[in-house]
Amino acid sequence: MYSKPRILTILDIVTSLLFITAVALVFFYAPLEAVMGQVQRVFYFHVANAWVGMLGFLVAAISGVAYLLKADRKWDIVGLAAIEISFVFFLTAIVSGSIWARGSWGTWWTWDPRLTSAAIAELLYAAYFMLRQGIEDPDQRARIGAIYAILSFISVPLTFISIRIFRTIHPVIIGSGAASAEGSFDMTTKMLVTFMFSLLTFSFIFADLLWHRIRLGRLTEERETLRLKTLQ
Amino acid sequence: MITSLIQQAPAETTTYMVAGYSVIFGIMLIYIISLVLRNRNLKRDMQSLHELERQDK
Repeated sequence: MYSKPRILTILDIVTSLLFITAVALVFFYAPLEAVMGQVQRVFYFHVANAWVGMLGFLVAAISGVAYLLKADRKWDIVGLAAIEISFVFFLTAIVSGSIWARGSWGTWWTWDPRLTSAAIAELLYAAYFMLRQGIEDPDQRARIGAIYAILSFISVPLTFISIRIFRTIHPVIIGSGAASAEGSFDMTTKMLVTFMFSLLTFSFIFADLLWHRIRLGRLTEERETLRLKTLQ
Repeated sequence: MITSLIQQAPAETTTYMVAGYSVIFGIMLIYIISLVLRNRNLKRDMQSLHELERQDK
């Protein structure tokens, strides 16, 4: 009844292998950066974590639209799953970024446009869980959750473009950044390979975790239905 | 002139790298454990509810 699909097991294995390879690339293949030293290696997974964060928030916004159009609760389960995973990974990106900042900028935190917009985005999604907790009716919870997921997604492109439109010290790795950026570096081919592989790996991690979390969401719904049935 | 040609050594930032990856791996591990535990608890709940349902019949 609750057996795991074979393709999910295959995805688990492929994701694990990709993750081990990505870790090996970061520590043994990517060269040491000439100015920042070892702390620059945080960059590969820091960006990959932020990527998963933004990807999941996008999936949640799309699921929100799908729910509002079809009123099918499966889209609420997908949206909640995507936001939960992305919230965790975006938090990791913020904390690992702060550690990288300490090593390269000499400070844990600065109210830079990128750091500020990322913190606001994370807080907006933290409020999503609080909002859901406060609504008893499942359909109303799903509807309001969907609207909230769509509206809070506005913070994601703002966070992404903040380093491209404002004067900031946060480096822009892809494209040209502000002259005031600190911690920028020229990526060598090996660094670029490691970076792209990390992004691919974390995309797989996201897909794998999303599938597991959706299954968990479905099981929670089943339990609630069964509980109500038992109580009657 | 000679000193400007000498390559400066990279900054010693290994501690921050270790701290950064400890956070990344740590949070990921905690999240995966939470998924496993929630899944296990849910399955246990479902079994108990099914048993209750059978007893009622």
